[in-house]
Parts: sequence; C-alpha cells; structure tokens
Amino acid sequence: MQQRNQPEPNEGGVKEKNKEFPGELRQRRKMNVGVAHSEVNPNTRVMNSRGIWLTYLLLTVVLHVVLLSIPFFTVPLVWTLTNVIHNLVMYLFLHTVKGTPFETPDQGKARLLTHWEQMDYGVQFTSSRKFLTISPIVLYILASFYTKYDPTHFLINTSSLLSVLLPKLPQFHGVRIFGINKY
Amino acid sequence: MTESSANKLLNGDACHRTSNGKKSSKNGFVKNHCLFQQPQKYRRPRERNQNVTHNSSLYKKPYVESFEETPLLVAVLTYMGYGILTIFGYLRDFLRHWNIEKCHVAREREEQKDFVPLYQDFENFYTRNLYMRIRDNWNRPICSVPGAKMDLVERVSHDYNWTFEHTGKVVKDVINMGSYNYLGFAENSGACADAALEATQKYGVGVASTRCEIGNLDIHEELEQLVARFLGVESSMAFGMGFATNSMNIPALTGKGCLILSDELNHASLVLGARLSGSTIRVFKHNNMQSLEKLLRDAIVHGQPRTHRPWKKILIVVEGIYSMEGSIVRLPEVIALKKRYKAYLYLDEAHSIGALGPNGRGVVDYFGLDPKDVDIMMGTFTKSFGAAGGYIGGKKELIDYLRRHSHSALYATSMSPPVAQQIITSMKIIMGEDGTTLGADRLRQLSENTTYFRRKLRDMGFIIYGNDDSPVVPMMLYMPAKIGAFGREMLKRNIGTVVVGFPATPIIESRARFCVSAAHTREMLDTALEAISEVGDLLQLKYSRREPSLPSLGWMSEESLLQD
Repeated sequence: MQQRNQPEPNEGGVKEKNKEFPGELRQRRKMNVGVAHSEVNPNTRVMNSRGIWLTYLLLTVVLHVVLLSIPFFTVPLVWTLTNVIHNLVMYLFLHTVKGTPFETPDQGKARLLTHWEQMDYGVQFTSSRKFLTISPIVLYILASFYTKYDPTHFLINTSSLLSVLLPKLPQFHGVRIFGINKY
Repeated sequence: MTESSANKLLNGDACHRTSNGKKSSKNGFVKNHCLFQQPQKYRRPRERNQNVTHNSSLYKKPYVESFEETPLLVAVLTYMGYGILTIFGYLRDFLRHWNIEKCHVAREREEQKDFVPLYQDFENFYTRNLYMRIRDNWNRPICSVPGAKMDLVERVSHDYNWTFEHTGKVVKDVINMGSYNYLGFAENSGACADAALEATQKYGVGVASTRCEIGNLDIHEELEQLVARFLGVESSMAFGMGFATNSMNIPALTGKGCLILSDELNHASLVLGARLSGSTIRVFKHNNMQSLEKLLRDAIVHGQPRTHRPWKKILIVVEGIYSMEGSIVRLPEVIALKKRYKAYLYLDEAHSIGALGPNGRGVVDYFGLDPKDVDIMMGTFTKSFGAAGGYIGGKKELIDYLRRHSHSALYATSMSPPVAQQIITSMKIIMGEDGTTLGADRLRQLSENTTYFRRKLRDMGFIIYGNDDSPVVPMMLYMPAKIGAFGREMLKRNIGTVVVGFPATPIIESRARFCVSAAHTREMLDTALEAISEVGDLLQLKYSRREPSLPSLGWMSEESLLQD
C-alpha cells in the first residue's frame, strides 16, 4: 500500500511545470520572525554550506579508521561494517528524521518531509543531491573491492546500498511505503 | 561589455549593440544584453571581496566591502560543534522522557496523551537544547537610558537558564555596543529632552485617534515638512511605528499583478508588507546587481505568470544598510538599472538615515545622488534620532495618495507628540538649524568612530563583515559555543553586546554585532577593543587570514591628530 504524500502544488520551490521562470527560485514569501534573512526553511541550505561535504567525508574516514583500530576485525569485515554503518546513519538522518529542529515560518509545510525531501525545496538533481547519491556508491565499490567480492559480504553490502539509494530517487519523493514514517 | 559602452547606455543611447551580437534563443531566454556582465576574470577563491566594481564610474568614492570566506577548518569544527550539541540534545531528551531529568518544557496532561499532539517536540529541539543553555545573553533588562553606557539588572539562574531571578543589584556603567544609537540621541538630558518635556506639557502623551480622524496635530505637519526638507523630497508622511510603516504601506502601493523584487536579506517588515500586498515576489541575491538585472529582464520579457501580460508595476525593494551584514546597498547601480528598465525603487533607510553621508542625509547623500531618483524613500526615526516611528518621502502625489490609502493612516494611532518633538529637535540639530555645530560634530564623531573601530578590529585579526563606512559591525564567531561564551565574557568585562546564531543567520555564520555610536568616546572604544581582543585571544576568535593593512601616510597624520 503505497501512499503518496505529495506536497501541495503551490508549495515553495520550482517544480517541473513551473519551468517558465528561468532565474531565481520562486518562493512564497513568509513572515520571518526574529531572523535576518528571507529564507523560509534554513534546513534546505544546510547541505550547500561551505565545508559540509568535507565534514561528511572526514566523519566517514574517522569511522573507518576507528573500525580499523579494533584488533580482531579483519579488513573485509571492517569495510563491510563501514559501509553498513555509514548507510544506516545516512538513512537515519536523511530519510527518517522529519521536519525541522526549529520553528519555521511556513506553517509546518516541511513537518512531514524528511531532510532529503527538504533539500533545496524539493528541486531534484542539485549538486548536493548528486554528491550524496554518489558517495554511498563509491563506498560500495571500495567495500566490494576490499571484501574480494565474497558472496555474503556482497549480499549485505548491496542490500545496504539499495536501502539508501532507493529513497533518493525522484520518484520516491514523498513516498511512504506501507504508511511507515508518515506522521 | 566595456565601461565606455556601459556609459553610453546609461546616457540613454538608443544603441542596442551587444558585445557578441547574439540573438535571443528559441525558448525566449534573452541573453547577453545586460548592463552589468558577470565578471569573466578569475576570482581569488579566498575572499568574496567586492571592492572591484565593474562600473566604477558610477561611484564617486571607493566602495570597499568585504565578506571574508569562512576558513575551512573553522567550518568543519562548527559542524562538529552542532553535531555534538545535537547528540547531547537527543541524550537529554531521552533522559527527560524517562523522567531521569526534570522536564521544564510545557507538556500535555496525562489524559491528553492519546490525542493528536498539542506540542511539536521536534520543532522545539533547538530551543530546548541549544537556545535555553545560552539564553542569558538575550532579553537583558536595562534600567537606564540606553546611551553609550547603561545599567543592567543583574539576574542569576539556578536551573541553567530555565528561570531567572533578579538579585536586586544593578550592574552599572556597562558600555553599550548593541543599541542603534548612531548619533547618540538616546539621552535623558539636553535640548531634545527639554523640548520633548515641553511638548508633553503642551499636548500630553497620547493622541487618542488616527491621522485621518482627530489625530492630525500641527506638530505632525511641522514634522512632515521638516522631514521632506531634510531628505530633499517634495513631501513626506510620518507614522507611529517603523515596522508598521513598511508593512502597512507596501500593500497600499502594490497589489495583484505587480512584481516586487526584494533583496535576499530584507527585513521582516518588508517581507510582511510584500506578502500582505498580494504581489508576486522574486528574490535576488544580496546586493548582487547581475542577479537583479537578470530578474528584471526575465520579468519584463515573460510578463506575468501564465497570462504573460505585462506587469502593472515593478518595485525594487532594498535597504540602505543591512543590519546583519553591515553592507551598504549599491545604490548607483540600482538607480541605473531602475532607470533603464523603468521600475520603481523603494529604499528602506532604517539604519542608514542620519548615520551615513557627509550631512547625515542617508545613503543617497553618501553616494552623492539625487533624492528624486528614488521613488519611495522610507526610513525610521528609531535609530539615529532617538525616537520611534517611521516616515515615507517622495513626490507630492504619492504622499497625498498614501495619506488617504495607507492602512496606518486610517487605522493606527498617530505619533505621540513628545516623540514627534524629539524628532523635530534632533533633526534640526543634525541639519545645523539650531545654531550650534552639535549635529556636524556628532556626524563627524560617528564616522571617525566607525573607521577607527573597524580598522582596529580588522588589524587585530577578527573577521568583520560589511562596508568600511557602515556603523554596523558584525564580527564572526562561527561556533555555537562561542556565541554564549562571547556574550558572557563581554558582560563580565562590563560591555554589553548582541550575539546572533543559527537559525537567524546561516548555519556556520554566527556573529556578534556591534553598533558604533557617536556617543562613544575614544576611551570607551579603546576599553571595548581591549576587552574584545582579550576575549578574542581567550576564545580564539581571530580567524582572519589577511595581512593587517599597512597604515598609509594619510592615516598616520590623521591618527596622530585624533589620538589624545
């Protein structure tokens, strides 16, 4: 039972049918209380800020190094663990947690959207989205290499990769399968 | 395009030759006829230093604005900081949920737990876990006039800022670096205060009516004529509240079928006014003339959405000084654009009136432009005049129209007489009409203080945003913990500052904002600078990677004259 959780048609953001506005993003103006900018939902810009891609890469490397330091883990196991833990944490933060940790002036339009869906107000194929799609794939390729394509590891790695890639597809924007995580 | 061809277009030349002769492409996208081209040259990646103006013939003096980029290490550490705070926030929420820790947040009653939730827990996450912990830096009660020095009520908290208690003591003579007191008119003695006292005795304090009914006093008429003379416009109108001036008058000026082009960082009052008007709103990047020109061209070419009819009006809304960035609007370029594309300009001079320009007449005076070029000049009396309220100045037909159609004139009480008298007196002082040189002295003092303060802060190694001439000085703190630490350390050293963090600013750009005043003496500034430097060393805030500027000969002589 797939239930579609489409945002309203005139929600802020350029959707495909509004392509007649080349130029700036068309946003519905809101009353921004106590802030110094006219950005309605600051969460949409977090992944574009300076240095966040580097922070993300550094955190992954640190995770990997920590796992490597555990004495009785073999290298293939460590890589699979890195891959799985990275994908789990990414799924948790990008595709499970919904809404914003602060009150936004858009009357709760983003309350039911995960962070991935909020990024750039729903515009697909921006550079942050592409980066966050490619990095689990790169990690998967590295993990496959270092586990020497062992079948068990392959199964675990691939299913983990799929779990984190499928929600990123544009077709899955706003989709909640079986009503899980809908409200 | 070269500068000479840009000049030709500004002179109204009908020649439309472009640099490469491209025609419009098939989807109607009109390209490359722009007045302000994107600079093609290589840009130094270190700084977004905007002191290279491509139309420098429009500016009579150098326009130096800089927004130094965040150092990458600092950005990474800031994200780590927020990450750690988030993890601890989740931990604390867990403890509160299982009643291990006492919960101070509003909760529903037990009987209502099965209903639709009344309180959104996650939306309060930052407030509960970040803001509450450093809440003592804001809403500090002041118990004296907010001049250059002020008295604060001392408060303590025994439960980590969830509740405050007043100890009964008063912290005296705290140097005030946060009030918008640019010309030092926030005082309770002197010519302005005496005149306001007389006005209270003559008119009382309340007006008890709106402008359209019985609330139009002769002091209002006098004020409006004075404001019109001050600004150099035909006529003006004054309102009781600065915020209400914007939010109540923009709906009277534009409506459905009009287009409002507003800057990214416009104030909430402008945003509210634009939203209430019902016009289409498009946002251009902050102070970016290429972005504005692109929007203008696209709007004119494509017209209204869906029907493609021409827009009834295009209104460009900008501010004089942006108070969070300290940047000054590129007014000559905006006026050139507006004349070329026949749009209207709404200039909000809330912070810049009285604070910029050789005669204190605002950003128009600062650039040496003609006030008649700006269609609607709006400003507030709150900042430089030490009063309250706002004004709109422009052509006589416009102001007469506003007198009848503005929501504020019809429904809001008019300005209180002592406040109006304060404005009249302070404006006369600034214009020099009271016979003394007090106004000119204060203007000069403000500009000297601004230059000195900014230069010293930059030489110490802090990252300062904004234009070199703007009295609003945002100093970058970046990390969330340093916001709280800076505010508290400065208070320990008897200096009151304003600090701002996420989500009011972008996530990594938390800052402390200083407002330089003409009432600050050189000693006060030195004390403040010393304390800032000390705290900066303690908290490691000196992020700037630029070399300190070498003093030129002109500076040396001026400084030796000014010091002691």
